[in-house]
Amino acid sequence: MAPSSKPLGTALPDAPRFPFRRECPFDPPSLYARARAAGPLFAVTLWNGRRAWLVTRHEEIRAVLTDDRRFSGAMADPDFPTVTEARVTVDRNERAFVGMDNPAHDRHRRMFTREFSVRRMLALKPQIATIAEGVIDELVARGPPADLAATLAVKFPSLVMSELIGSPYADHRFIIDCAVGRHGLTQTPAEALEKARALAAYFRRLIDAKEASPGDDLTSRVIESHVKPGLLSRDDFAEIGAMILRAGHDTTTNMIGMGMLLVLRDDGLRRRLAEHPDSVDGAVEELLRYVTPVQFSPRRVALEDVEIGGVTVRKGEGLFLLLASANRDERVFADPDRIDFGRDAAEHLTFGYGIHQCLGQTLARYELQVMYPALLRRLPALRLAAPLEEIRFKDDMQIYGVHNLPVAW
Amino acid sequence: MKVHVDPQRCVGSGQCARTVPEVFDQRDEDGIVVLRRAQPDDRLAPAVRKAARHCPSRAIRIEES
Repeated sequence: MAPSSKPLGTALPDAPRFPFRRECPFDPPSLYARARAAGPLFAVTLWNGRRAWLVTRHEEIRAVLTDDRRFSGAMADPDFPTVTEARVTVDRNERAFVGMDNPAHDRHRRMFTREFSVRRMLALKPQIATIAEGVIDELVARGPPADLAATLAVKFPSLVMSELIGSPYADHRFIIDCAVGRHGLTQTPAEALEKARALAAYFRRLIDAKEASPGDDLTSRVIESHVKPGLLSRDDFAEIGAMILRAGHDTTTNMIGMGMLLVLRDDGLRRRLAEHPDSVDGAVEELLRYVTPVQFSPRRVALEDVEIGGVTVRKGEGLFLLLASANRDERVFADPDRIDFGRDAAEHLTFGYGIHQCLGQTLARYELQVMYPALLRRLPALRLAAPLEEIRFKDDMQIYGVHNLPVAW
Repeated sequence: MKVHVDPQRCVGSGQCARTVPEVFDQRDEDGIVVLRRAQPDDRLAPAVRKAARHCPSRAIRIEES
């Protein structure tokens, strides 16, 4: 018999256990690309033995995320798919609109959209720039070497959030501990729930403090516009506030760490970012596309049998919409595994799609548009101070990035 | 080109206002889309198409003339 012309390594495994390990720290697991080539859907097995679907292509991910009639994002649904047992507990206790379907979702989200409007974020940009200069001043004053991931990448978004929300900066370690404790892949259900509850309790106390002594911040404004008129309960606001706090810290921190690692490893990227400030916006979109920090969200449950690309998803089955796979989809991005600051990366789905698309995306963009060039301008000799092998990547987290980034200048 | 927006569908992501501020704005009270020009100049047409394509809640519809 003639040997098969098909290389043995290309056969797709049958419903493998999800999540997968990355082979390369800069690329999603290679199985995403192989699954994407074979079709828009790929069956996997979760920690609890249940089957779920990975949606791997840009077009189908957008289609599912805008089909609220046939797919639910209600995290309280017993069929909602999760990557860990701890996440089940967190999901069942999610009270913020991130875990709601419409109409409840829109009713709550609309109480907060103006706080993140493009106009308001533009007005905040000078303050963001001042905060950026301040944290770089501190870095300079302490002198090299430094761990950029553990210091500036944490402190900068924390100070911005503190300014926006009105939460004391001194509390940022506690807030991050709660966010990270909830987003890990290794916690027990009790630990994850405790962290989720602690952050909501923290925000409930912040509401009390702001009612007693209002400031020029989101918390005080929402108390005035929605809590006092009886449109939003203090407990619901506490859950939403906790969601905003954790979302605003962890994600930007990881984009700063991973983004700077990629730029410092590549002279071409670094030169383009340092010497062409007018192309910074495009560079930020490309880094957002390439890095895609959020790994295992968004998720949906099918509300009825739905056919996608010749495969039937049964009612009650869960789906993971793999943003990192959409952002490497060859159908949308030419040569997708290459970072190219000259490309139009605006089609990326890093902030998700549909009604749940990131509320704080404009803030995140402005933070990154300010910080990357400021670091290169203030520290022209900035360089990595450790080989790649010494950098610890966040394979243990649901939001990807680096645990450490040793630099010198 | 004629542009239509659906404030009911809009989730206030603000991406249209960021992409083409000449055509799209956001309401002060809740960040929901406001159409500033229903018939934008030809030079804005590519950016308006892009904004419509990127709208996460598909609240922008374009009638090409």
